[in-house]
Amino acid sequence: MGLPLLFAVCAAGTAQLSLSVADIAAPDFSARGIALVLPENGSADLRIAELHVQQRSLRNVHIHCASFALSTASMSCHGGSMAQLTGVALEVIYGFDTGNWQVSAALRDAPAKQFAAFLPEPIPLPSGGELSGMLRIGGGASGLTALDADVRMIDVGFSDGDGLHAAEKLRGTIKFAATRKAALWKWRGDVAWQSGELFWQPLYLRGGHKMAASGSLDDTSLSIEQATIVLPEAGRVQLVALWDMKRGALAECTARGENLALEKLFADYARPFLDKGALAESNLYGHADVDWQYRNGATQALRLVLRDAGIADAEQRFALLGVNGDIGWLADAPRTANIAFAGGALLGVPLGSGQWAVRMHGMEFGVAQGVLPVLDGELELRDFRLYREGVAWRWQFAASLSQVSMEQFSQAAGWPKMLGTLAGSIPRVGYDGGEISVDGTLRFDVFDGTVAATQLKLADPFGRAPRLSGNLNMRNLDLDLLTRTFSFGNMQGRIDVDVNNLELQNWQPARFDARLSSSAGNYPKKISQTAVQNISALGGAGAVAAIQRSYLRFFENFGYDRIGWSCMLHNGVCAMGGLDNGEGGAYAIVKGGGIPAITVMGYNRSVSWGELITRLKRVTQGNMQAVVK
Amino acid sequence: MNAMIKYFVAIVALTAALNVSAAADLEVNTPGINAIKQSMQTRHAQLAPYYDSGAVGLTADGMIALRDAGAVPLAQRQAVNALVAAENGDRSALYAEIAKANGHPEWQAEIRSTFAQRWIQRAQPKWWVQSGGGWKQK
Repeated sequence: MGLPLLFAVCAAGTAQLSLSVADIAAPDFSARGIALVLPENGSADLRIAELHVQQRSLRNVHIHCASFALSTASMSCHGGSMAQLTGVALEVIYGFDTGNWQVSAALRDAPAKQFAAFLPEPIPLPSGGELSGMLRIGGGASGLTALDADVRMIDVGFSDGDGLHAAEKLRGTIKFAATRKAALWKWRGDVAWQSGELFWQPLYLRGGHKMAASGSLDDTSLSIEQATIVLPEAGRVQLVALWDMKRGALAECTARGENLALEKLFADYARPFLDKGALAESNLYGHADVDWQYRNGATQALRLVLRDAGIADAEQRFALLGVNGDIGWLADAPRTANIAFAGGALLGVPLGSGQWAVRMHGMEFGVAQGVLPVLDGELELRDFRLYREGVAWRWQFAASLSQVSMEQFSQAAGWPKMLGTLAGSIPRVGYDGGEISVDGTLRFDVFDGTVAATQLKLADPFGRAPRLSGNLNMRNLDLDLLTRTFSFGNMQGRIDVDVNNLELQNWQPARFDARLSSSAGNYPKKISQTAVQNISALGGAGAVAAIQRSYLRFFENFGYDRIGWSCMLHNGVCAMGGLDNGEGGAYAIVKGGGIPAITVMGYNRSVSWGELITRLKRVTQGNMQAVVK
Repeated sequence: MNAMIKYFVAIVALTAALNVSAAADLEVNTPGINAIKQSMQTRHAQLAPYYDSGAVGLTADGMIALRDAGAVPLAQRQAVNALVAAENGDRSALYAEIAKANGHPEWQAEIRSTFAQRWIQRAQPKWWVQSGGGWKQK
């Protein structure tokens, strides 16, 4: 900045000298209508009609110097004050011969808000609080060469126009020093933020942070040669980084932290950046050492030493806890990590401890064989692969489930208590970035029978309305176990259930062709009076009364020959049928056999699905009736 | 709760009213549309205080926007941002799903603009709505 030095003596009164100074114009700085008045007492008054600093303009600026000295070699102003700045004492020194200058400001409870007039528009502007300390800038003919600050903030607030970068009640100290040689700035800073809150979208942080850093800056890059950052309740991170100014991107970075508290680290510094999703709704636990190496636009190496780490989603859908392991991932070389875990839960079902060897090769992760204890049984996982194609993560695995007690499983999952054991095989499950599909037949043993699920597909699994489609074919289910489970009234026998062309939208049935019928073979067939009443009560009070009126009320159990019922669900309406067509559109659901025998007829061939579910739940009204033979 | 009921009534009235004025069946029901509506209804209880305080307003293009972040405490600002983003995601999806369910995906813009007018018409007194490029209070 070249100071101006066309002085014109305008008036010489008796006791003071008035000077009019030429306009000053420099990049980021200009002044017009400058007048300097020098009273005899050694003070000075500088008035500037219009001052432009950065994009800001001030009118009628008045700087008073308690002590002003002017010689052919230099000009200095001590004890300067400015009407627009309260609590600020200015010192200005300018050497005419060297061109060197220095401006310093001693701040004493100076309201932060008044500095807004000097700051460029896009940065958030101070809105309240006070500053105390010292600010100093100096330079020469070549421009600014030194910058020093040692400032204490008292309840400082700031905000940008849209409120996305704002702070309130900040307290702490900022020390900063920078010097320039040719085009290279060397800098050092120390920030101790004691209290207050900051919102820097999307981060919301509170006091307790500290940072000490040093580095350099030139036209092409900002270098952080070393930085130590204290993250409250999370730990301490050491950082070295290089920011490419031309590309506006991180060029290199190494970040290290020991024994970082994962819960706080994730909640405060990672989760705000995540979109809605399972991970965004999860909590992390435990501690970790982290060593992250970033270069050439990508992570080159990441070492994670996990100590009793864990992850659990807020909805309690999954959890993995007590995770320990030393994971040394490299972008360009295969590595294996042994990861041990103490336990977890999936959809309420507890998982036991295990240890897996995870193969890692770049963005591909695999487990050849891993055992996951599930209640009293185990899930054996084979050929698990997680990999990235383009931007989408894909995974696949095969598994088999051995001998899990259905009683424990149903209790843990919050279902009605079921008996028997759960076992099955899962040939291959894959996720292609949009759809989860099962190749082959998913087979489970339940209710002493089998369930085979084929052509299972789950589209949009993490979206608003997941769509599940497939076929379920159940064979030889034990009615005794089944009816006991659902408190329907005891029945004995075996049934096959087919639910084909099943489609669930948002987990609600949208379509299926279901058929239930007695299994082939010889086995005891009995139906209790309660079950008959419940089935027939689906069809109204009359049916129940029919039993009550007859001698059949004296029997606890009846024999039957066959059971059959079908429902084709389409557009919210279930088209029903039974064992045969019966007369007048009626159909038999239970066909009697043995002594005493009972037949249950259905008369309604069409019912809304919602109503059927309500009826099943209440077992009250409808259009069925027991025909006593 | 009262605001919630009004909101339900508004949605029903809105879809019914729109049904008359546009060729598209805006009452069309698919599980997808139901899921979106349900998600919007659940979220409305969280958003209502911010409509009331003027922090969030209804835009002219059938979306909502954070119009005065200063009215939201710093600690809640990101949560409000996330609510606004999620609501706008649902609204876009709703317009697209209704157009798709009508068998005319190209009607989406028209459906959106009809919805926009009605959302604004049915906004409660003192809520902020966008009109003519600026914000005004109903």
